[in-house]
Amino acid sequence: MNTAVRWLVLALLALYTAFAAGPFLWVATMSVRTTTEISLDHYAWPTVWHWDKFPAAWFNSNYNTYFGNSLIVVLCAVALLTVTGAMAAHCFARYRFRANRLLYFVIFSAIIFPPQITIIALFQILVQYGLYNSLPGLIAVYVAIQLPLTVYILESFFARIPGDLFDAARIDGYSEWQIFWKVSLPVALPAIATTVILNTILLWNEFLYAVVLITDDAKRTLPLGIQRFMGDQLEDVGMIATGLMIAIIPVVLIYAFFSEKLIQGMTAGAVK
Amino acid sequence: MTGAPGGVSVRAGIERQPWGAIGAFLLPAFTVYVALTAYPVLRTFYNSFHRVLPRKGDELVGLANYAELARDELFWRAVRNTILWACASPLAEVTIALLLAVALYSRIPGMRFFRIAWFTPVLMSYIVVGIIWVWIYNYDWGAANALLRALGLEGFARAWLGDPKVALPALIFITTWMWAGFNMVVLLAALHSLPGEVIEAAELDNCGWAGKLWFVIIPLIKPTILNLLVLSFIGKMKIFDLVWITTKGGPLWSTETVSTYLYKRAFEWTTFDLGYPSTIATVWFAIVLTAVLGLTWLFRQRERLEY
Repeated sequence: MNTAVRWLVLALLALYTAFAAGPFLWVATMSVRTTTEISLDHYAWPTVWHWDKFPAAWFNSNYNTYFGNSLIVVLCAVALLTVTGAMAAHCFARYRFRANRLLYFVIFSAIIFPPQITIIALFQILVQYGLYNSLPGLIAVYVAIQLPLTVYILESFFARIPGDLFDAARIDGYSEWQIFWKVSLPVALPAIATTVILNTILLWNEFLYAVVLITDDAKRTLPLGIQRFMGDQLEDVGMIATGLMIAIIPVVLIYAFFSEKLIQGMTAGAVK
Repeated sequence: MTGAPGGVSVRAGIERQPWGAIGAFLLPAFTVYVALTAYPVLRTFYNSFHRVLPRKGDELVGLANYAELARDELFWRAVRNTILWACASPLAEVTIALLLAVALYSRIPGMRFFRIAWFTPVLMSYIVVGIIWVWIYNYDWGAANALLRALGLEGFARAWLGDPKVALPALIFITTWMWAGFNMVVLLAALHSLPGEVIEAAELDNCGWAGKLWFVIIPLIKPTILNLLVLSFIGKMKIFDLVWITTKGGPLWSTETVSTYLYKRAFEWTTFDLGYPSTIATVWFAIVLTAVLGLTWLFRQRERLEY
């Protein structure tokens, strides 16, 4: 490729990068500026860095509660999902039994269900069993909605583990449960890490089920908190920007450490 | 395959079915599936034939909800908006992504950095993205209008989310911004998995940049492209969060989607009836299922024709 074309391509890529990442940089600068400063010039670089806005947003607007709720919900749901999904995936990949493919298909096909088809009934069911407006109820629903994807990613990985490994373990006198726990899981650790990270991000951002199933302010998760925060502080752009950054930071941290894993997980479903 | 005629093979002997273990492994997943996926789907279906009011028995109304739905102009408006979104988005996202991926494939320096930067928007929740874009589209100081004014195109500056004519395209633009990078990373992975000789051979043939893209690269990664189109389509058929945080379906229902309409009918309007919204859900479920199966079938057919 000749140099002129190369530079042109590079310039285009840089332009697109500014377009893709610019909005986040903009919010980041606003998060350390006061609203008065922002309204003078919305696009200026911070002159004084108001780090104190972070504790202010955190303590004055219940952010600590929302953040804690999100943490509880996501950690519990991901732990349950991983165990439940791995057990099922191991079973589908490992045992050749009648109806294996049928049962796998039953779970897998739920991947294309639009949330609308379950959400009203889930609302009724949770109300009926006293789980409406409670974190355990939300956790159970989160396990259900992410189960198909988790089983799908793990099953395709488990299926590639050579059968000899299991035969050897069986000859060594391992029980079925020990084989799962001591052979399958350790070997599949990379795939499990992928699902854990992927589910963490997706559930951290989840909004629709949360907005239907949680109304109590003390039980709100972070996305609901942000929505409320936005409603309360409509004109206070600077404070909302700080609130947004608090929600973004955990995701960015996970991304910084596990970007490859995350990209793998997100692309797993898309590349056949 | 196992189970070949001619008696018990050694392998079949080793793999006798430990039904107890199978049941135990599947039990948690199927408990969750039955209780929180299958049962709710059936219950929604059941609801759709009833009037479901709080603290009252469900009253059977037959097909009345369906008849009302057929006449419900707001619903069909929402369907049109959603389908428009679900058709426009995949094309825009995948086209942009393909051009970016091909540009990146030619070993540009700083590749890793670009990849990470472009992938960032999909990791953010629609809530965060929605609020940022409400600001970008702000009439007085948003980046969109600031840019237009800087370019001397003040005539085009407007309240992007407040104008019924442009609000939906403005939202579609946001999802395109969000998902183009994701599609690009996937396509890049597909490109890198191709044997290098094929693309080199095309370069030797000197068939030009566009020719190479159209005749060599696209056919080779077609399965991935089709998957991405379907994936994007499904994603947009579900869209709720972004609309809810930015426009709530307004102005004048110009951005109403099926999800937001269903939410309003079930939990916001003071009709308190869950039967009618369940009918919306059932009909929409049928539409989504038909569309996805239809698309998959169509893509399979075309593939078969070409080989």
